[in-house]
Amino acid sequence: MATHEEINEALQDFTVSFNNNDRLRLMNRDWNRVVIVKATDVESVHTWILKNGELTLQEGLTADPDLTVISDSETLADIFYGDVTPIEPYNNGTLRIIGTEDDITRLDFICLMIWGE
Amino acid sequence: MKRVVSVSLGSSRRDHKVIIDLLGEKLDISRVGVDGDFDRALRLLGELDGQVDAIGLGGIDVYLFVRQKRYAIQDGLKLMEAVKVTPVVDGSGLKNTLEREVVKILARETDLLKKGARVMMVSSVDRFGMAEALAEVGCDMTFGDLVFTAGIPYAINTMEELEEIANKLLPEITKMPFHLIYPTGKKQESQDEAKVKKFAHYYHNADIIAGDFHLIRRFMPAGMSGQTIFTNTTTSADIAFLKEKGVGTLVTTTPEYGGRSFGTNVMEAALVAILNKELGQVTEQDYLELLRRLDFRPRIVKLGA
Repeated sequence: MATHEEINEALQDFTVSFNNNDRLRLMNRDWNRVVIVKATDVESVHTWILKNGELTLQEGLTADPDLTVISDSETLADIFYGDVTPIEPYNNGTLRIIGTEDDITRLDFICLMIWGE
Repeated sequence: MKRVVSVSLGSSRRDHKVIIDLLGEKLDISRVGVDGDFDRALRLLGELDGQVDAIGLGGIDVYLFVRQKRYAIQDGLKLMEAVKVTPVVDGSGLKNTLEREVVKILARETDLLKKGARVMMVSSVDRFGMAEALAEVGCDMTFGDLVFTAGIPYAINTMEELEEIANKLLPEITKMPFHLIYPTGKKQESQDEAKVKKFAHYYHNADIIAGDFHLIRRFMPAGMSGQTIFTNTTTSADIAFLKEKGVGTLVTTTPEYGGRSFGTNVMEAALVAILNKELGQVTEQDYLELLRRLDFRPRIVKLGA
């Protein structure tokens, strides 16, 4: 089990990687979304706000979500540290994402653009 | 008579059956769509296994090639593995050979492919051979893989970047449920209106739109101005659709039988059926030799005034 602090670090790491990647920011300049990341086994909720290609992270639930990412703390930390891709936990049901199919696919692509091979 | 069946994840509205003569061999070829029902496709493949001479898998790719690297789409592999006895192909073996040849023929013998022509491929990782051949001819390439698969408004313009992004994404994207990355079943009969509007400029700014027809159709805007479409599978209804949108010329890479051009998977299955060789022994040279004996030519249809 990961702690709230570990999830927070993983999400901060992901946020920095996203914002340091000029190509990824360019790719997502049209995609303004609120993404909630919620752990099922520890008290941990984060809000990502993606606006004009800039990603910001806030602790807690601070806006209405377009996408909600739900999983156990360990899986969340693994995904956003880049130790596992979201595809396998999504396929086996460990990771749930609530949102439109288009948004889910796009979020997967963003993760892979950061952590892909 | 040899029997070839294409099982497609696509719409059953495109089902058809023809009997053709290929190099003196009579072939009964049929296509069965399962409307995106994956389990029905698995059952049907199990029933056909051992009963027909070759099976094509349509509406899904199994293998994607990026130069020498091969990636397998997991949902496609599951379908392929349901067939134990009959040779089963997805068209990717022939696609790489055939579509390169078509580009060479068009560049050599027509004025459709001039150096500098603006070509927009709706997706290119499913036909890397075509992408490479078009780039080699000197076309000004736009690869829309991220645009039309993930809705990301980022066009790739070089083979190097295409290869880099493909190698980064494909190892994992191929594990995603196929319906998330490609229109299957009823989605093939409709357009994604929001994206048609949002991404219309990619179509309008091109001289040639190339790639998978279901993707081309799903995102094509109105107001085309005589562009050329370079694809494989079309029906008479598809041709009417293209005319209505304002397309000027249609080039299909597979020949026409009974008013429609077949998918590459059907053609590859037909060639495998007449080759009488173990599937594992079939080479690119075998396909090239058969295409030569068939005096294969792309089909060019003028649609505009």
